[in-house]
Amino acid sequence: MEQNPYLPITMKLTKNLVETEDRNINTFTLEFLNKQDEENFKYMPGQFAELSAFGYGEAPFGIATSPTEPGILKFSVAKVGCVSNALHLMEEGTMVGVRGPMGNYYPVEEFKGKNLVIIGGGFAFTTLRALAVYMLDPAHRGDYGDITVIYGARNPGLLLYKEELAAWENNPNINLVTTIDRPAEGWTKHVGFIPSITEQVAPSSVNTYAVVCGPPAMIKFTLPVLEKLNFPPERIYTSLEMRMKCGLGICGRCNIGTEYVCKDGPVFSMAQLKDLPSEY
Amino acid sequence: MKISKEKFGQSVDALSSDYRLIAPVSEAGGVNYKAVKSFSDVKQDYLNSKLPPKSLFFPQHEKLISYVKNGKDVTVKNELKVEKTILFGVRPCDAKGLLLLDKVFKNDQYQDPYYYERRNNTVVIGMACKTIAPTCFCSSMGLSPASSEGADIFLIDLGDSYDLEIITEKGKALLGDLGLSELTAQEQALVDAVKSAQTTSQVDVSTITEKLDKMFDNPYWENLQEKCLGCNTCSFSCPTCHCFDISEEVCQNSGSRVRTWDACMAPLFTLHGSGHNPRSTQKARWRQRMMHKFNYFVHNNGDIACVGCGRCIRSCPVNMDMRQIIDGVNKAELVVE
Amino acid sequence: MSSVTEEIRETARQLLADGKVDVVIGYEKGSLPLKATPCFVRTVQDVDKLIWDETCENNLAAFSYKISGKKAIITKGCDSRALVVLLQENQLVKDDLYIIGVSCQGVVDKRKIENELGEIIEATIADGKISVKGMSGSGEFTFAEVKDATCQTCRYPNPVIEDIHLGGTVEVPEQAVLFADVLEMEAKSDSEREAYFGEQMDKCIRCYSCRNACPLCYCQECFVDCNTPRWLTGGVNRAENLFFQAGRVLHLAGRCVDCGTCSRACPQGVDIRALNRKMSRDVLEMYQHESGISEDVKPALNVYSGDDPEAFLVKE
Repeated sequence: MEQNPYLPITMKLTKNLVETEDRNINTFTLEFLNKQDEENFKYMPGQFAELSAFGYGEAPFGIATSPTEPGILKFSVAKVGCVSNALHLMEEGTMVGVRGPMGNYYPVEEFKGKNLVIIGGGFAFTTLRALAVYMLDPAHRGDYGDITVIYGARNPGLLLYKEELAAWENNPNINLVTTIDRPAEGWTKHVGFIPSITEQVAPSSVNTYAVVCGPPAMIKFTLPVLEKLNFPPERIYTSLEMRMKCGLGICGRCNIGTEYVCKDGPVFSMAQLKDLPSEY
Repeated sequence: MKISKEKFGQSVDALSSDYRLIAPVSEAGGVNYKAVKSFSDVKQDYLNSKLPPKSLFFPQHEKLISYVKNGKDVTVKNELKVEKTILFGVRPCDAKGLLLLDKVFKNDQYQDPYYYERRNNTVVIGMACKTIAPTCFCSSMGLSPASSEGADIFLIDLGDSYDLEIITEKGKALLGDLGLSELTAQEQALVDAVKSAQTTSQVDVSTITEKLDKMFDNPYWENLQEKCLGCNTCSFSCPTCHCFDISEEVCQNSGSRVRTWDACMAPLFTLHGSGHNPRSTQKARWRQRMMHKFNYFVHNNGDIACVGCGRCIRSCPVNMDMRQIIDGVNKAELVVE
Repeated sequence: MSSVTEEIRETARQLLADGKVDVVIGYEKGSLPLKATPCFVRTVQDVDKLIWDETCENNLAAFSYKISGKKAIITKGCDSRALVVLLQENQLVKDDLYIIGVSCQGVVDKRKIENELGEIIEATIADGKISVKGMSGSGEFTFAEVKDATCQTCRYPNPVIEDIHLGGTVEVPEQAVLFADVLEMEAKSDSEREAYFGEQMDKCIRCYSCRNACPLCYCQECFVDCNTPRWLTGGVNRAENLFFQAGRVLHLAGRCVDCGTCSRACPQGVDIRALNRKMSRDVLEMYQHESGISEDVKPALNVYSGDDPEAFLVKE
């Protein structure tokens, strides 16, 4: 019989880290139990997996690590429902279930030879981090032009991956712009919403792709800015969220028109989305 | 070619050590497909089952995996169990329904083992309809009361015997040499009559897919569904509806992951954890139902996902009638942008 | 065409023409024989769709809070009781409601006919007789023979609340014993009752048409859909189905208006009403309360009296 796509592998939760000051987002580090599982789990930045908290259920989350970081997977998860709450309370060392990788990924082949601007808001930064880390890897960095990351949150405490952001500040291979919505004590970087900061700091659209992820309002107001900066819809990518169950394009709830976000997405170009019903 | 019911029954019963027999039987809720011990228990005169036979391959509630937790450790077990099965007496609409579900449970990337293992281990014996309900409209969906599509063996009831046609290799392998006899002229006439019958109720779906391509924002959807209660009756009774939920059933340290039928008519079906709902209105949900069956499914799988069995029409508490809704799409004026 | 139908159309025409309401919620002829279907009339041109006869079986109060704007509702006795409960429970704004009361002789139970004649091909109702051509034969029934079980025990055929009354009124039939059906069920042995309800629960497919048809099941999140905590599984079996049905009955305690729309909506013919009737009788016996019979009668669950029976807590 073929591989049963409903059967999760078990991975060990080696670290359950409180990621944001409001304690709403934790980052889980999961370790593969054996080489075979890791071999079978070949993934790319932008893909997601179904995480099981046994006894509570299963839910889809974007993979925050890059395949260039072997041995582990990381997920940064907000507390919203039954499964995410259970994961937040989980003791390190506990076994969790993982099904995946699922979905498509950011078109890193198509990005080759191009500049990239990565725009993220709030906790939707997870797979964008994976993308940035993938491209910054010495094996891949030479394939791409300038890499700009524009990342914002409501306040400094809500930014994910603070240590890594600090390292990127001093990394000549990446141009990081962080912003918060309102001024805060001790904050010396940008203040303002993503769309207006993007307008100020975005690189030229010539030979450049944009990848945008964030809350619906942020995406809604950022897209016109990119349009104004002459990014054509074929060169703007985003990753969509949908309620999902199977992750296999079968259970029927995550479709936008003919496309199943779990199987045909979650990554779509704006050009693709323009041809689909606006039902997401 | 002809076989007596007695002889056919003996051949089927002779397989009972290898195959379970699932066939129409009368129960409190109506006629449905259930396991029977012997061919003599099979109900012969039935219009169609109350619920389609899809549940044999895709049960309303099934365990996918089970697990036992021990401290921080967990042991996971696959719960897929399969029995070799003869599914007897499937009507043409439902046999076609299975072919459509085949396309759902296997896509360009994945194959659902729970569905397919059962499907591959089942021989489908189809049965022509000699009586046609006023709500049947399979003739409009490229079928007929005697179409054998989707069956491995196809029967037409001749009273004491069946007209039997082997459709697939699987069907041929099941029964072997049955020693069939020729039909009499009278029987042949009966077979011809059944084969040429059409449903009295008809709809036109010849251009519906192309029409729906241009109808996502059409005002037609606005008031169409106003009386819809949003229950799951139409979906659960549909031979092609296949949406499901996956949830956890837990008892202390052990539990299982189960899938249960779900339906696009329910508001919670698409509700995000954040509270956002991309299909937050019954209008959006009915549009999805129609689009999925008559447009998206055609684009993805080359077929309309409705077989004209009429169950949704018969079961609906508020008389939403698929035939009228299809007709409404045909008549809807396109909005020029 | 009945004169009530004509009066309904005329009233709807006036209300819409005068701009008093945005929509008239009523019944039109359905696509199936002996089946009316809810309709929503918004223009004067459409009022002639409206009908009134023994096939108008849905409880339109279920739509009263889903449809926005000022609305007129064709209201039978049982529907009016549901409206009273909805008003008492703050689900409706009275000023947005115009109640067109019609007295009801009862509605037809199609299933009784189909059990005898198979799926109905055509049917006519005239002079209290229903002539039916079914798939397995033709027949004629008196209305009394095929009246819905709910309507046979109905004590409120006339609307208890209305802004206008159309047609005559219906005399409330004398019932020697109230809740005779419940008493009959209670007289059965435990095992007989278990067998009966077991068979009923076996039929349930958890499609929730009963819940969704019920005018008083308006919870935004029903306990069956809740996953934190999960009260019951999606398992379709006797135990889980009974848990759902019994849970629903408990939530309707002192609220159910015995319209029977749950049983009529059920595609599987589950006798849901038998459970609700028992609850209604208990509430009447113990708390002398009947739901929705007057706006002035406080809901049973909102009233505390020192005389309330507490047999389940202390010996009395």
